[in-house]
This record gives sequence, C-alpha cells and structure tokens, in this order.
Amino acid sequence: MAHSQDKSSALGQGVVIFVYLAVLTIIEYFVAISFNATSLLVVVAIIKAALVMYYYMHIYKLNESEQGDEHSYAYKTGTNRLGLWLFLLSDGFVFAGLLVMRANLLGLTRPHLNQMLGLGVTAVLLISSFFMNRGETAMKYGDVKGFMRNTIITFVLGLGFLLGVVLVEWRLAAHEGLVASFGNPASGPLGGVFYMMTGMHAFHVFTGLIFLAVVWNNARKGIYTAEKHWGVEAAAVYWHFVDLVWIFFYPALYLIGTAVQ
Amino acid sequence: MKGFFSSALARGLFWQLIGTLVGAGLVTGIRALMGLSATDTFFFTEPAWVLGGFIGALSFLVGSGVTGDWIKWARGIDTPDHHEDHHTGWEKFVNVSLDHKVIGIQYTLVALVLISIGGLFALIFRTELAASELQFLTTDMKLFGQNGPQLYNTLMSLHGMIMIVSILLGIAGIINYVVPLLLGAQDMAFPRLNAFSYWIAVPAAVILLSSLFLGGFDTGWTGYPPLSARAPVGMQMFFLGVFVAGWSSILGALNVLVTVVRMRAKGMTAMRMPIFVWASIATSLIALTATQFIGLAFQLVMFQRLFGMGFFDPAKGGNPVLFQHLFWFYSHPAVYVFILPGLGVISELLPVFVRKPLYGYRWIAMSSLGIALVGFVVWAHHMFTSGMNEYLRVPFMYSTLLVAVPTGVKFFSWVATLWKGKISTPTPMLFVLGGIVVFLMGGLSGPPNATVSTDLHLHDTYFIVGHFHDTIFGGFVFPFFAAIYYWFPKATGRKMNETLGKIHFWLMTPSFFVLTFGMMYIGLIGMRRRIADYDPALGIDTAHLVLTIAGFAIALSVLIFFYNFFASIKKGEKAEGNVWNSRSPEWQVPSPMPVHNYDTPFEVVGEPYDYGLKDGGYVKFIEEPAKKGKH
Repeated sequence: MAHSQDKSSALGQGVVIFVYLAVLTIIEYFVAISFNATSLLVVVAIIKAALVMYYYMHIYKLNESEQGDEHSYAYKTGTNRLGLWLFLLSDGFVFAGLLVMRANLLGLTRPHLNQMLGLGVTAVLLISSFFMNRGETAMKYGDVKGFMRNTIITFVLGLGFLLGVVLVEWRLAAHEGLVASFGNPASGPLGGVFYMMTGMHAFHVFTGLIFLAVVWNNARKGIYTAEKHWGVEAAAVYWHFVDLVWIFFYPALYLIGTAVQ
Repeated sequence: MKGFFSSALARGLFWQLIGTLVGAGLVTGIRALMGLSATDTFFFTEPAWVLGGFIGALSFLVGSGVTGDWIKWARGIDTPDHHEDHHTGWEKFVNVSLDHKVIGIQYTLVALVLISIGGLFALIFRTELAASELQFLTTDMKLFGQNGPQLYNTLMSLHGMIMIVSILLGIAGIINYVVPLLLGAQDMAFPRLNAFSYWIAVPAAVILLSSLFLGGFDTGWTGYPPLSARAPVGMQMFFLGVFVAGWSSILGALNVLVTVVRMRAKGMTAMRMPIFVWASIATSLIALTATQFIGLAFQLVMFQRLFGMGFFDPAKGGNPVLFQHLFWFYSHPAVYVFILPGLGVISELLPVFVRKPLYGYRWIAMSSLGIALVGFVVWAHHMFTSGMNEYLRVPFMYSTLLVAVPTGVKFFSWVATLWKGKISTPTPMLFVLGGIVVFLMGGLSGPPNATVSTDLHLHDTYFIVGHFHDTIFGGFVFPFFAAIYYWFPKATGRKMNETLGKIHFWLMTPSFFVLTFGMMYIGLIGMRRRIADYDPALGIDTAHLVLTIAGFAIALSVLIFFYNFFASIKKGEKAEGNVWNSRSPEWQVPSPMPVHNYDTPFEVVGEPYDYGLKDGGYVKFIEEPAKKGKH
C-alpha cells in the first residue's frame, strides 16, 4: 500500500511543479508585454530552470553515493549519471555561447515574432516535460504500460513543438522579413540569430525524439524494470534539458527588449 | 598487409571516402535539380564538400565498427562488458579495442604521425624564410590550386592546427594510458566512449589535412573572419576538421573526469591522488566546457559562408570582434589544456629522480586548478589591438598577470624539490629538467605580451611566435618525450636506448633555444608573423638562416627519437621490475602491464611522493581471499 502511496505522491509533486512552471511562464509573458523588465525576466527564467533541474531532472541524485560492488547496476548507474550531467554541462556551453552571440549582436532588441505562436510552442514543450516526468515516475514504480503511454504523449507533443518551430514559425518569421541571410538591411542580424538559435535547439529536440523512440521501443521489448532503467532516466533527463534550454531561449527571442522589424 | 586491409582503420577510411562521395553527390544532385551550379573549381561545390566531409566522418565511425555496441544497445541487445581482443602485435593498434592501454598507445601513435606532418610543413616554410625574397614558393609555381605564397600560408596555418590536434591527442594518449593505472582502475569509466573519442580524431585529421588539397586557406590557425569568410573551400575543411576533432577532446575529457571521481582505489582520498591525476582533472575541466565555444565560433563562420548568415559581416550588421571573443574563450584556456598535463608529468617524475618528497603537494595540486580557473578570464589579452572596448584592456591585463601566481607555485615547488636532492639524470629526467627551463623562458617572455603598452608593439610579431613555442615545448613537448621515455618500458616491457635518448636531448635542446630566442630577436626588430617574405633591409637574413638550421637540427633529433622508439620495441633492453624505483602503483607489477591491469587490487596506505622517508610505501596490494568467478 505504501508503494502506491509513494507513487501517487511522486506524481502529485510532478503536477505541483508543473503548475508552478506554468504560472511563472504566464507571469513572464504578461510582464514582458506590459513593461520592460529584462532583469525580472532573467530572474524568472533562473527560478524556472532551478525547478526543472531539481524536481524533473533530479540533479540531487548526483550526490547519492552508492556503496558496494563496483560491478552492480546501481553503481554503474551512478557513474553513467555523472557522465550524462557532464555532457549536459558541456552542451550547455553551446547554448550559452549562442546567448552571448545574441546579446552581442542584438543587445536590447529582438525580432518581431508571432507572440501567440511563441507562447504556444513554449506551452507545448512544457507540457511534454510534464508527461515525461510522469512516464519516468511510472517506470520507477515498475509500471511499463504507464511509461509507454506517457512517453507517446511526450513524443507527440515534442514533435508538435518541432514542427511548430520549423514548419510554422520559420515560415511566419520569413514573412515578417526575417531571413537567414540578414537579407533585409533594416533587420540587421536579427534573422541569422533567430534561425541559428532556434535551429540549434530544434536539432536537440530532434535527437531527444530519437532517444524517446529508442527507449519506448526497448520498454515494449520489456528490458526495463523498476530497478534497472538507466536508459529511461537518461532519455528523460535529456528531454528536460531541452526544455531547460528553451526556458532561456524563449525570453531571449520573444520577450526581452523591444521588437525591431 | 592483409591484416591491414581488413582492419578497422582501413574499413573506416574506405567508408569515409564512400560517405564523402555520397554526401557531396547528394548536394550536387539537389543543386542540379534546383538549377544551381553543380560543380566548382575542386569538382564539388562548397556546400557539397561540407556535407560530404561531415557524412564522411560519420561513415568512418560506423564503418570502423566503433559504434557497434551502442547500435545494439539502442535495439535492446545486451553486450558483454569487455570483448576478447584476438588481435596481436601491431594489428591491435589499427583495430577497435576497448582497453585504455591500447587506446592510449593509439592516441600517442597518431599524435606522433601528426607531429611529423606538422613538423614537415614547418620545415618547408622555414626553408623558404632562410633568405629574403621568394626562392621556391614563388608566385609562378602552382600546386593544389595555390601559388607559392598562398601555399606558404596554407602550410603555416596547417602547421598550427595540425600541431594543436597532435598535442590534444598526445595528452589524451598519456592520460589514457596512465590515469587508470595510477587510480588502480581496470579501465576508463566508459570504455566505448573512450574508443569513440579516439576513433573520431582519425577522420577529423583526414578532413583537416584535406584542406591542403582543396585550395588551402590563408588565415593562420585562428581563422578570423572576414578573411576566413572569403578564403577557398579549404577553409571549410579546416573548420569542419577542428569541429570534429573537438568532439574527441570533449568526450575524452568527460571520460577522464568520471573515471577519477568514480574509480579510485581504496584509500585514495583527494589529497593522496598523484599530481598527474590532478593535472588531468584541471585540463579536462577546460576541455569539457570551453571547447564548445571554438566549435560554435567555427560553425558560425561555416554557416555564414554557406547560408550568408552574416554573423561576423559588418555590412550585414554582424560583428567580427564577436568571433574573436568566442574563439579565444576556448583558445586561450586551450593552451592550459596543452601544458597542464605536461606540468603534471614534471611534478610526477621529478621526485622519482631526486629521491625526495615533492615539495608542497597540496599547493601543486591546487595550482593546476588555479591555472585552469584563472585561464577562463584572460582570453581578451589576445585582442588588445582588435578594436574591442578599450576599458576591457586593463582588467584582462591584470587577470593575465595573475596566471603567474599559480604557475610560480609550481616553479617554486620544483626548485625546492630539486634542492639538495640525490639527482640522477636518465633520459626522462633530462627532458623533465629541459621542460622546466624551457617553460621558464616561455613564462618570462609572457608578461611583455600581457602588458597592454608593450603588446601593442609586439602583437603579431615573431616575438609572440618565440614565446608561444617556448611555452608549448616546455609545457608539452619536453614532458611528452619525458613521459614516453619513462612509461615506454611499462607499455612494451623494454627500455628505450639511453645513448640515443641523450643524443636526442642534447641535440634538440640547444637547437630549440637558438630557434626560439632567434624568433624573439627578429620579432623585436620587426619581423611579422605569417608572411612568406621579408625586407632584406631589416638585416635579419643571417638570423633567419640560423633559425632554419636550428629547425632542421630539431627535426634530426626527432628522427633519432623515432628510430629509437621503433627499434626499442623489438630490440630494447628488457625492463625488469621497478625500472625507475618508483613508488607509483603501476611500477609494482610486471611490465608490460597485464591485460586487466592489477590482478590484486591495491589500497593506498601512504603519501604518493614520500621518497627517501621510512614508511610503508604509497600502496599496498590487498591479498584477496580466494574468490571464485572473479575474472
């Protein structure tokens, strides 16, 4: 009985965190359209990132030191976890570099983009992170079916985000006069920065979708159990990382500064 | 030879060729359908070469079989932790192996190949510089679509980057071979990732070298736009090659960090780790993070050229100085990536040959981290003349001068360790001492470049070239040779020839001093970097001739090293027991190292460098109670 109580409280925590993140995103949006408050947006983004890293990506697990046999699955998982986080740290520098580029080239201006679409894809990605968390929690308690169901929802939402950015947003942006080649002299480097940042992020979403498909397929084959599911954890943490990056990219592209056409 | 053609290396190269052709063909076909020009000077168009090069590198990895286990895992198939390696002799080194010792030697061998290529390029353009006027790299000659001075630029630029890749592979080689042995681990934390990190460097080197044949480029190793935005196709191959090689460095560094954190022997607390392990941590922290910035900077120029996204094109609202910031954010810390393992080798070997404890262990350990961390905030000292905001100059000047503090700690420790020691000077120790002196010269010629007022004069002169070669020879090349002479018996079971080793040292060291002091001298007089010719009125013809002769003397000494290296594998004197009388765990077991490293695990019971003191030694092997089924 305690087991199912643990599970429902873990799922409940996922819901609470999701609500926090959603509220913060809405606050972010209304602050940005109402007045100019760059530093406030940065603070909100950092709070959101901290919530995701702690409650969805479980960064504290790095601190759990598994004693005992070096050949045990638990010990190896600890090693793998450290490797994954170091990879994310390294990958984070790519996105940090893109933010530096954005700050240097655009300063306090931003491209003129469709705000509703931006908020829409952001919401879709956030909701997908929520379902990813549910899926991973299900697997932690041995519920393979629940994991597969939630992963499919995550996958579909992720695909929706990817197509929303690449097929819809990129085209709309082109109509707004943003072209990759900075073709419009008045728009300056806006287009290049916009396409580079969204493109690099979309590439990571794409690889995340591949990982989701791989772990879904392996779960279908029944190779994951409540104790042994490192692949699931890795794919989930990576997926949350992609969301984490967007927590910074969304305000950087849509909210900060004044829109320039 | 039959063994070679069926090796992973040969398969990889074959698939790289196929992949390049397929990728390039694909772009060419699409361009033809879209009605764009399908061919160019070097047959394929630039986008075709870029995509081809990229797919070629991926094809190499799949074709060589290094990704095989991962593909199986993705399909839900389990694989054994270790694979039996049925290859023997040299065939081991051209096939995929998961053993960190084999991978370490593979890295080292490729590093030596690249050092030879980079050195050969240097000899060619050094010969051209021996006298003023153009002698053989003339404007009339034509090779690979380049005239003489253009070829000079390509060789000079490639010398820089080939050597940098070679250094990255060289330190990876030493770290890979030595660190798990020092930790008492059976292997690196991720053996497959380790193999992958090595094998990805091979196609990277091929792509990098291919730039020579695709019109070359004339930017120097820094690849600054706007020049790099207009250079021939070779420029793209340069960017792509470095980008791919960067992944080798990043993933290798990740592996080292995880290995150190998770796989230390019992009792090896942080303050009882060998200094070389500390140095590896420091270097890996930089390589893991900062490398992404050079990758990004190069990617942005590639995209600027391919899609016209003018990130660095002022006419389109871009900013060329941004490139320099992104580039140096990696490329300055990168020189600490090169030297920190070398300085670690010096601290590691010095007490062995002085028979005295290492002076100030904690300070040395922390100074490596100190150099690494300060190294992140000094990058703009390369840009004093770039036109960046002037108020940035002074803070970057002071942060740069701050690097002298942790570096000074190391020197102080080395001198104090040498003080009143029982110094013996076999070849590895000679190179350690040489490294200390040469690095001191590099260190002393540094502050004039870091100080704004003097740098404005010295920027882009041969003074910089002389300073740089001093730091890198002192911080990498000398310790690298020391490490090879020192651990060669561990890897092969035979020692390298002492006489030849000493000839190598005594030929290389004085020639090297002549070379770099000469470079600094002509630089002060007014010799610019990166030009094929100079004004005879400068009166430095004789100096250049002497430099060229010194350059050839260094090359000769390295040839002697190569002969010694390969001859000793077969004919060297057998290495019995603890060759250097070291406290380090790897010398307490027979050479060559057993396949799974230590048959009985050890426990750390003392300090690593307490030579000459009466204690129970550094490590004690645990007699394991007879357990069945443990490998």
